[in-house]
Amino acid sequence: MRKLLLALLLASGGTVQAAQTITAHVNGMVCAFCAQGIEKKARALPQTEDVYVNLKQKIVAVQVREGQSLSGEALTSLVKDAGYDVVQIETVEGTTAAIRARMEGE
Amino acid sequence: MSMGDMGPNWREVFINYAVTARDAIGVAHTAMRSDDNQESDYLTEITYTRLLHRWNLPDAQANLWFVGGAGELRGTDREADRHWSRMAVTPGVQVDYETTRVYLSALHRLYRASGINHDYTAVRAGFAFWEPHYEQTQPWLIVEARSMQDLSDRPEITPMLRLINRNYFIEAGANNFGQPRFNFMLIF
Repeated sequence: MRKLLLALLLASGGTVQAAQTITAHVNGMVCAFCAQGIEKKARALPQTEDVYVNLKQKIVAVQVREGQSLSGEALTSLVKDAGYDVVQIETVEGTTAAIRARMEGE
Repeated sequence: MSMGDMGPNWREVFINYAVTARDAIGVAHTAMRSDDNQESDYLTEITYTRLLHRWNLPDAQANLWFVGGAGELRGTDREADRHWSRMAVTPGVQVDYETTRVYLSALHRLYRASGINHDYTAVRAGFAFWEPHYEQTQPWLIVEARSMQDLSDRPEITPMLRLINRNYFIEAGANNFGQPRFNFMLIF
């Protein structure tokens, strides 16, 4: 079985990409209406796999589709266009599900 | 965005379309009635809403809005048994402050036509029962005090339960005269 998985991995190009997620800390995002506007715009991006919003922590996390890329500047611009301010942005390896589990498990 | 305010003396429905992040245009219909039922006025207007300034704070948001409109005010004076129609303008300002747990707002809006003054003032304060979770319905208690010039001599005070879920909220309560209120907002 292990040989089969290895063969499939090699056949697919030999690399496994970790999921990439851009997280933004957003000043002013304190209500569901604010957040849903940002979420809607983020989900509309072709690079977006998933979006996680945490109102308490003022976090928007956008998981990038495999093989695609999304810059922190693009997410910052999207949030600013929606009327809010990004005060911190970072790219992390992992899914939004993992970030949700970590934040909501805290 | 669509919003409705359904009370005994003041019933309002409007639809807004955001043309930019700061500007929205819309149409509104408002039915105003005096306490003694002797006067009923109906306003249909084109509205413009402008976010004049937003303060994005680490744990709060504050806004200063201009709201206004222009349209036709139609009325019925039952004592004199006559109908009339006049051009009306409705400029106003709103300030609000909100955290994830607290909401405060104040609105003053003129409702003026020739010989008519139904200026509207409302203040609201509320709190969330617990720290909100974005993907769950969030219950709030909102208390509103408002006055409507030449429609009611007494301020109307209404505690309401507000339920917010992502792109809509509903509010329901009863005012200090024992009359029901129901409000809603839906963001498309």
